[in-house]
Amino acid sequence: MKPARTLLFSLLAATAMIAWFGRAGAQGPGPLADPKSDKQAGFPTDLYSWAIPPDNPQTPAKIALGKSLFFDDRLSADGKISCDHCHDPAKGFTDQLPTSMGIHAQFGQRNAPSILNALFNVTQFWDGRAPTLEAQVAGPVTNPVEMGMKSTGDAVAKIKAIPEYQKQFQEVFGHDVTFVDIERAIAAYERTQLAFDSPFDKFIGGDQSAISDSAKRGWSIFNGKGRCMSCHGWNPTQPLFTDQKFHNIGVSAHKSDFVPLARKALDTLSKSGGNAQEIDKLAIGTDMSGLGRFLVTKQPHDIGSFRTMSLRNLLVTQPYFHDGSQVTLWDTIDHYNKGGVQNPYLDGGIVPLGLTEAEEDDLVAFLASLTSPEYEQAAKEEYDRQFKRSRTDRPQRDTAAANGDKGRGPGLAGPFGDIGPAQTGENPALLGGD
Amino acid sequence: MTRRSIALATAAGCAAIFAAVAHAPRLRAQPAPPLPVHQVPQSKNGGTVVMLCDGKTSMEVKGLKPGESMTHAQATEVTRELMAQWQRQHPNEKWQMAQTDQSSEPVPAVKATGAKPQSRGTQQGDTYASFTDRDYKVWKNQTDNFVAEGKRLFHDGAAIGGTIGVSCDMCHPDASNTHPETYPKYQVQLQRVALLRDMIDWCIENPVKGKALDPNDPRLRALEAYIIAQRKGVALDYGKH
Amino acid sequence: MAARHKSVETKYMEDRDAVLRGLRRLDRRTFLKVLAATAGAVMAKSLLPPHSFQLVEVANAAPDKTASGTGMAGKPPFTFAYVSDTHLYQRTLNQRFVRAAVKAVDDVNALDPQPDFVLFGGDLAQLGRREELDLGRQILAEVKAPVKVMVGEHDWFYDLGDTWQEMFGPPNYSFDWKGVHVVVLMSVHEKDFWTERKMTPAERMHTVAGLDNGVQSRFEVGDDERKWLSDDLAKVPHTTPLLVFSHSPLYKYYRNWNFWTDDAEQVQAILKPYNHVTVIHGHTHQMLYNQIGNISFYGMLSTAWPWPYAPTGLPPLTIQMNRADPFDQFDGLGDGQINVRADGLADKIYSLWDRNPVTVRADYLVSHGKIARPPAPQFASY
Repeated sequence: MKPARTLLFSLLAATAMIAWFGRAGAQGPGPLADPKSDKQAGFPTDLYSWAIPPDNPQTPAKIALGKSLFFDDRLSADGKISCDHCHDPAKGFTDQLPTSMGIHAQFGQRNAPSILNALFNVTQFWDGRAPTLEAQVAGPVTNPVEMGMKSTGDAVAKIKAIPEYQKQFQEVFGHDVTFVDIERAIAAYERTQLAFDSPFDKFIGGDQSAISDSAKRGWSIFNGKGRCMSCHGWNPTQPLFTDQKFHNIGVSAHKSDFVPLARKALDTLSKSGGNAQEIDKLAIGTDMSGLGRFLVTKQPHDIGSFRTMSLRNLLVTQPYFHDGSQVTLWDTIDHYNKGGVQNPYLDGGIVPLGLTEAEEDDLVAFLASLTSPEYEQAAKEEYDRQFKRSRTDRPQRDTAAANGDKGRGPGLAGPFGDIGPAQTGENPALLGGD
Repeated sequence: MTRRSIALATAAGCAAIFAAVAHAPRLRAQPAPPLPVHQVPQSKNGGTVVMLCDGKTSMEVKGLKPGESMTHAQATEVTRELMAQWQRQHPNEKWQMAQTDQSSEPVPAVKATGAKPQSRGTQQGDTYASFTDRDYKVWKNQTDNFVAEGKRLFHDGAAIGGTIGVSCDMCHPDASNTHPETYPKYQVQLQRVALLRDMIDWCIENPVKGKALDPNDPRLRALEAYIIAQRKGVALDYGKH
Repeated sequence: MAARHKSVETKYMEDRDAVLRGLRRLDRRTFLKVLAATAGAVMAKSLLPPHSFQLVEVANAAPDKTASGTGMAGKPPFTFAYVSDTHLYQRTLNQRFVRAAVKAVDDVNALDPQPDFVLFGGDLAQLGRREELDLGRQILAEVKAPVKVMVGEHDWFYDLGDTWQEMFGPPNYSFDWKGVHVVVLMSVHEKDFWTERKMTPAERMHTVAGLDNGVQSRFEVGDDERKWLSDDLAKVPHTTPLLVFSHSPLYKYYRNWNFWTDDAEQVQAILKPYNHVTVIHGHTHQMLYNQIGNISFYGMLSTAWPWPYAPTGLPPLTIQMNRADPFDQFDGLGDGQINVRADGLADKIYSLWDRNPVTVRADYLVSHGKIARPPAPQFASY
């Protein structure tokens, strides 16, 4: 071969190799992306067996394929967004932004949930619109503000055109690339992201010194005065700190137009024929995201409802709530403490709690103890940052409301609203059996 | 002798008598005469020696290190072996084992008729044979009073510490919808398996807005008694929702 | 997996995505088509009896043939809303009941269009005290539509109705409204049980306030008032639809809890000649309905606390509401509306808080359960 051609050839090959290996982010996914062991304190064996679907068993080859896809930005229309763009292992498989940024620097309306332990969720997304991990994949891939593919067919075509993938798909699934298989592979990888083994798990396992006294008090408040346990339920069979249900806790109502929006949505829906034009105007002209699960079920009871999220690894998955509106854990607790934000659809279980500052600190200490070991250092730094901020900056705090002292309405000023249970002497965390 | 030294001596004596394991701690007795102590032979293989209360019969449990405890199954084996040893050494002694003994005729089941003990035909002298109608009356009276107290508290929110004028009977007239026969069960509000009293306490804290009662609080126990009493005759069905 | 089953979630996911994409690129025609199809499907499953915020009855969407064959089309003569059984204590003692009562008032005020009037169903106060009744009056004053009040036993037995009558006028009265004759009864009279026991007014009230003590007498309309009712109805033609507002149910459901009217049969006999009679009652704090002969009965929800279903006597037509969750202070409670139809029958919308609303149609009652069956609970009382 002529020297020039040889050089060209090598350059091309090298570029191709670099291009191939450079696919998954600048430095590669890193150890935080690796499949996790199930030898973790608090790992729920039975729940895990229920969470693996019979038609998509875990195999090493499938997991490796899924991992490649997860970190492959060729799944996006512009070749720049991969799943880990919003679900970054180093950031607790989130992006630590209030709402996610997708293709062409467009921002969506929802905060990116973590992939950690997502396999145990009964439904996926904040509004539960995907029934499985597999079904969830299609959402971001084809969403115009996320990965921007015109259709799943486009995604398949792109992947199919890559010989490496063709080979892997044949090996794993025995046939050509299909979107269903892309979903299966990615889901299989996601099912390896298990996050337990926290200090709290060890404490429950019998190690009394695993968490601080403050965290232990926080656990007691979590079970009693804080009323957290009823929705953020934990038990050894399902140690996820979520009831997997949907509740309106008033986050959407922070936005001033929520109530008229909700009424209008319901109004439009109930008028006979569901005047599509009206719904169209509503959808295009307003921000419907705050309506939450209602967009999925169209049931009035679901207006403004979002999924109860797990409380593990919160210190690497900030900011909080479906719109990422709360920056620190103290802000989220302040929100609950004052009884959420009043709106006609507020879940009746949300009441002012009357927690003191010390009790809030204890609750945060407890939440901090739910951090899995691989995130310990990052979580500690985030805790310090949030702690510092919480001493001076508390936008959600409303002590009068928290103590049931906020009145309302003409002639009805003064003590109003119903605060939660009084502090009990008995540690409620010890009541009942596990 | 001071009271303290008597107590010490008694403690020492008790500890000594029950020293079946070779290295049990021995407290020094005070001036009182030393009580008899069984000399348990030392194990030669680093195991543990177990001795019967006759101070003579003993056996070694191999592999059981000093300080370790046996499993139930192991302990049953060991005691069976010890008894067998003893019986071999005392062939003329009769040791009445429990119901598994083959010698007695099957004993007819006795119904508690509440009748006074008869002079013939019924067993005499033991605790449960000596109760009379008068006793039964006292018991029933006490039980009814306990339940009645529970009923009173059930209908009076302030008496159990409620602060907003809500009493249990408001949502549970005649203790309806309390289902005591379904406990223990997974209680959704607590997100854990609960007993009836756990749920009573949760209700006191939440809808009734009082402070949860201590498990030993007589009020909580009376409430529990009243609720259970309302479901007399209903089959137990724990775990039912 | 996603391609294999078209679950409800998938369908809604598609619709939801279509809705959000309306913001960007989706072809509008397709988008509207998808929406219309979904909305129609949802309504067909009768998931859409309007929430308390909405007044328009879904049944009006299509002409309805009732079991009686009278048929119905077009708008109803009128609709009214209700708030009932608020059981107010003084504010300083209990704020929860105040908050709930105000929530109900908010609900009826948000209705668009507004109802013709709002019925208050009785038991405004908990212990019949002036402060409690005053507080209730203050709260009801916030209602935009005209309010028609009815008395309950909790309002009456502290001072045998003195304060109530001073504040709200006579306990029984009648009026005509858009071709319907409306009667408001005082149906919680009780034979004297307090004099022989030498009870103070507070003790008498406390006894009446307890549902299960068995000391108080059973509710009754009483001879005098039955006479008043007969006289009042004497001038009303039998073809005129009747609405009877009563606190006690006017039938016999469960004696021990005074879910009961002692002279129910006699009252029903007075109502029997009329073609269309609907009784709206309070006191039972649960979703409850019945049909006896020509009379439909609808129980109203409370705003204060829910009651379990009685161990016996539940009307067979009633499909229980799901068990209430004590974690949620509003569960099993709410307010509602009644749509009086052109044919003189009435449908009821139970606007349950924190739950989907439930509509019970007259068609269901009149057909004795054969059509328009309301949804079943997951956990019934037992």
